[in-house]
Amino acid sequence: MPTLASTPPLLAVESVDVVLGRGWRARKVLSHVDLQIWPGEIVGLVGETGSGKTTLARTVVGLVNPRRGRVVFDGLPISALRRRARRAARRRGHVQLVFQDPLRSLDPDLTVADIVGEGLRIRGERDREELRGRVLDALEKVGLDATVLARTPGQISGGQRQRVSIARALAVGPRLLICDEPVSALDASSRNYVLRLLDELRNSLGLPIVIISHDLSSLAGIADRVVVLYGGRIVEDGPVGRVFAAPRHPYTALLMASAPSVRHDQPFSLHQLRRSDADPAPPDGPDACVFAARCPFTADACAQQPPLAAVEGRWSVACHRREEWMALAQDRNR
Amino acid sequence: MVIDNRSPLPDVVTAGAGAGVSQGPRPGAGEVLRIDDLHVTVHDGAATAVRGISLRVQAGEIVGLVGESGSGKTLTCRAALGVLPPGCAIEQGTVSFAGHDVTALSQRDWERVHGSHMGAVFQDPASYLNPTITVGHQLTEVLRVKRRLARRAARRRATELFGAVGLREPERVFHQIPAELSGGMLQRVMIAIAVSCDPQLLVADEPTTALDVTIQAEVIELLRQLRDQRGMAVLFVSHDLALITELCDRVVVFYAGEVVESGPAAEITERPRHPYTQALLRVASVGDFGRRELEVIAGQPPQVGANIAGCRFAERCPVAVPACRTGSIPSVAVGDEHDVRCLRAEDARNVDQLVAR
Repeated sequence: MPTLASTPPLLAVESVDVVLGRGWRARKVLSHVDLQIWPGEIVGLVGETGSGKTTLARTVVGLVNPRRGRVVFDGLPISALRRRARRAARRRGHVQLVFQDPLRSLDPDLTVADIVGEGLRIRGERDREELRGRVLDALEKVGLDATVLARTPGQISGGQRQRVSIARALAVGPRLLICDEPVSALDASSRNYVLRLLDELRNSLGLPIVIISHDLSSLAGIADRVVVLYGGRIVEDGPVGRVFAAPRHPYTALLMASAPSVRHDQPFSLHQLRRSDADPAPPDGPDACVFAARCPFTADACAQQPPLAAVEGRWSVACHRREEWMALAQDRNR
Repeated sequence: MVIDNRSPLPDVVTAGAGAGVSQGPRPGAGEVLRIDDLHVTVHDGAATAVRGISLRVQAGEIVGLVGESGSGKTLTCRAALGVLPPGCAIEQGTVSFAGHDVTALSQRDWERVHGSHMGAVFQDPASYLNPTITVGHQLTEVLRVKRRLARRAARRRATELFGAVGLREPERVFHQIPAELSGGMLQRVMIAIAVSCDPQLLVADEPTTALDVTIQAEVIELLRQLRDQRGMAVLFVSHDLALITELCDRVVVFYAGEVVESGPAAEITERPRHPYTQALLRVASVGDFGRRELEVIAGQPPQVGANIAGCRFAERCPVAVPACRTGSIPSVAVGDEHDVRCLRAEDARNVDQLVAR
């Protein structure tokens, strides 16, 4: 279990802006993102398509350069490294990324043995026995054995494929694992299996894991902290139990109310959290709050983007109306 | 917006059935889809993936098919739509649409049923749309061919439809190509095309799997609204039991090519009788946002087409007895419209209680 605050974070993303594209295509994808990851914690990163989740993951592993701010991993500012130093840092493999759709991210012509061992070979591991041992070791950590070694991704099930891509990441002994939508292509039982596996890896290896997902309910089962991204900004960041018990940002509440559920005991209904045509026009303009256009609770202050401010302890929210909107939502028709 | 004047069934369907039914079903009445003892073979007959499925869909009803991947729910839908993938064939059983046997319709006859009587939306909307043509054009094409609308009328109807499926600025969307629209907007376009000729049945196969949860909730709401306004029946497929129970009136649970339980959605969630349904409920997102042990269903489903004596779930079942592994397991009624294919369903109201704690 992480002991927060006392230890320095393993990863620190410090007021990062990311712009993708050049010239008239240039688009600001991340604005002022601050994120810390401590050893041994599981952080859930949630947000919708286009909110910048994947770009944030790619920035952390050094595939994207921030326009402003910096990414510091274990004291080393990796976003400032260039050329050879950058490549050397990447090859050490301290931060590993597990991609969303293993059917597309794993080379269909390679065997499982090749896929899992590739990172080790790139790093310069030549000894065949050693390589095979490390590959089997990684597969064992994800609950697979030597029977899958000679198969290609097309010959194993969807759940097994995702475990292979986790094994590929584990083979190089990472110190931080970032999983981009690891379970969205899986059915419920396989999804829970993979999430439990990640939880076990965190417990047995003390490995911190960032899980990008839009399934809040199953994330709640294993994560310690949740970070909500909207429009390239972090709008809420706090302990899972506290945030999901009473979210302070209306977007977090909307995400929770949107999740399909067998039970119907949500504090707010979708209609209470969505803008209707009857609501007054939201403030717009370049400085307005990123969520204003979809928020039914806007006030004049929302013409300015609120900063991410602490609510209590390590729980912070970027919303001017964080104290008022719940009461306003209660007054709306369910 | 209400679109009326349903066309009667095409002559060909009526003639094919020979039943002398000349009028189409009225909205809100009658059985739209009836599947009896359907067997579908895959790999050119090498294996039977769907083994004796029977199900009914009434007009204005939303029926959900739920099960793991490979359980045969998609093949059943495709058989109902007459669009089985290559190598697959209906080996046995019948599919009736609005009282007419459509099991052996020719390709030509199917073309008259598709769109006008049955609509379909699938998981990945982008791959069903032409990337180089505006979505407006793709919808007007359907209206002009199927409905014989004039250019201008088709265009007006298309914008109305885009508005009806909740696309903001339908006029603008009309002139956009698929790449300019988001996944949620594309799925709305697909739904607009699917319902453009006012079908009696909409088949929706995992239509929200690729979408964000907030968009998913909106699409689910749209489907419910279309049913309410048009009396359209919906056959909805998903592996997410939570989603199914939110939307559907009736739930059909598939396991390894068979229906193991079917019943009203509330019955299924509150009094599931099949151990597999109970397992699905435990792994589903029940709406719990607390820290908890995430459950899994132990074991693997049998290989597609495997011949197994007795219950196909027995291998993974926590309460299986020797009798479960012999003979065929009949489906029995355990409540109002609630059927279960399990020998132990009568022994215990809740199989959870049977499992030693």
